[in-house]
Amino acid sequence: MSANGSPRGKGSSVNGRKKATAPLIQVFEPHKAKTPPLIPYFAEFWQRRTFALELARFADKAEYLESKLGKAWLVLNPLFLSLVYFLLVTVLRGGASKTDGLNTLAHILIGIFMFYFAQNIISDGAQSITSGGRLILNQAFPRALLPFSSAVRAFGQFWPTIPTYFAVVLVGKIFYPKTHIPLADWNYIWAPFIIAALAITAFGLSLVFAVMNVYFRDTSKLLTYTTRIWLYGSPVLWKPEMLHGWHRIFLYINPLGPSLAATYHVWIDGVTPSLAEFIGMGFWIILSMAFGTYFFTSRERDFAVRV
Amino acid sequence: MNLTPADPNNRVIRLGSKPPSETTITAKGAKGDFLLPDDLAIRIENLSITYKINVDTKKTLKNAVMRASKGERVRMRQVEAVKNISLDIPHGSVVGIVGANGAGKSTLMRSIAGIMPPTSGRIIVNGKISTLLALGVGFNPALSGRDNIILGGLASGLTRDEIDSKTDEIAAFADLPDGFIDMPVRTYSSGMYGRVAFAVSVSMTPDILLLDEALSAGDASFKEKSFLRMRELVEEARTIVIVSHALATISDLCDTAIWMHKGSILAHGAPEKIVEEYLKFLEVGTLPSNLEDM
Repeated sequence: MSANGSPRGKGSSVNGRKKATAPLIQVFEPHKAKTPPLIPYFAEFWQRRTFALELARFADKAEYLESKLGKAWLVLNPLFLSLVYFLLVTVLRGGASKTDGLNTLAHILIGIFMFYFAQNIISDGAQSITSGGRLILNQAFPRALLPFSSAVRAFGQFWPTIPTYFAVVLVGKIFYPKTHIPLADWNYIWAPFIIAALAITAFGLSLVFAVMNVYFRDTSKLLTYTTRIWLYGSPVLWKPEMLHGWHRIFLYINPLGPSLAATYHVWIDGVTPSLAEFIGMGFWIILSMAFGTYFFTSRERDFAVRV
Repeated sequence: MNLTPADPNNRVIRLGSKPPSETTITAKGAKGDFLLPDDLAIRIENLSITYKINVDTKKTLKNAVMRASKGERVRMRQVEAVKNISLDIPHGSVVGIVGANGAGKSTLMRSIAGIMPPTSGRIIVNGKISTLLALGVGFNPALSGRDNIILGGLASGLTRDEIDSKTDEIAAFADLPDGFIDMPVRTYSSGMYGRVAFAVSVSMTPDILLLDEALSAGDASFKEKSFLRMRELVEEARTIVIVSHALATISDLCDTAIWMHKGSILAHGAPEKIVEEYLKFLEVGTLPSNLEDM
């Protein structure tokens, strides 16, 4: 889509602010190589980001409108789940020291919080196109805004879990001061990068699953089971160091593996993530975004006839 | 009969009686700039739209895997929804489109709105578009009507400030019973739902308004209000394209009409004539004799 010219109506103002300059001469032509022209596509994506942000905010409002505990569930849900997994892991392992117990709890806590963040981006993103049916049938906008909105919403649900983590660790340190879990450590400067890597990788994957869900409506159901197995296969309930030799490949063929291993090293060990983890995170960001963007944009045209 | 059959040589059909303006504007296409008369709201050049649909009853991954294990593929069907249409719609026109189900009306509207890109050909739209192509645009049933107006406006490309400044005006136009605008949309009747959706689409001050079966919402008084609002838009030289099975609406509101049949434009002309012939076709099931060869 390209635009130029200056037809009527341009430059009118509301509340003294200039209107968003919508393209007033629009030319719609067949897509080359199935994908829309990417530069105008991403320019419009950026121009309409407010829509995605507000859609995320309103979706959140709608979900928790009639819940008495409201947004507290965003923290309570993964917190309770972490406690269940903690009990399960300590019972299975047996005989851990109290310091080890706190380490395990902290690891499961941050691991579950991070994994749920990625899971929410993927599973909500996967349903974003099919559930946005009427919007898609009525408005022309870059469809990637819908899974992006799901990712924004997932971040809004994720960030309150971080202070919860520190609160648990702080209380734990009062009772078990010998624990080495860091509270204030320089290595936390890597945390935003790790969270961003996890979010971008998950967003790229959500683009793929969003398209699959348009074609095959049971994809989102399948994801419920897949993500559960994915959780068990990720370094959330077990430490990355438990994998030795060629088994470590399982850490890197998992798109979330490098980010979750790096999470363990920064949040529990208080060390810088390894070079292999940085390379792994970079690899999965590039692969998931490149493939996800191509797959999604090349199928966008079909959405209007399949949702 | 004063019907104008579609040109068999597929020259551009220009709606309305005025000759094209000699002043031109420049539009940018993929293969470079090109000129078009500045009085045009919409130009459609050799437009064809095809798409594939899955005709399997179970559109599931499980079904696809089962089929693949038997060496079968998912059953697809190619739909030729629009076939080589060329059309010029000048600014200030009110165009009605009639045709049986599957004629390609909705696909044509979606392609003009930029929702469904062409398979071949080109569409040039000169002006800001507002659409009401699916009733209850993106409405979240758990949210209030007011929240949904904001969402609808943002989806249309307005900024938050712009939609905030219009929300009261839109709510007033929708004219819902007391307090309903701040109640969840799931408590609305279908008429109330349609009123809000229509109010959002006409309040965007569009240059081009595309309506697909949107005028069936609401009672007689709201319908009259909708007609008045559309008349105002036309007086401001804005363009309206309406798809409706309510043929009286086409006759009352439009100054020109198009009859689409199996993806092509079968005829165009005065709305009364088009509607009259289309009604005969619906009763008899055969095309008028002078259009049979089209």
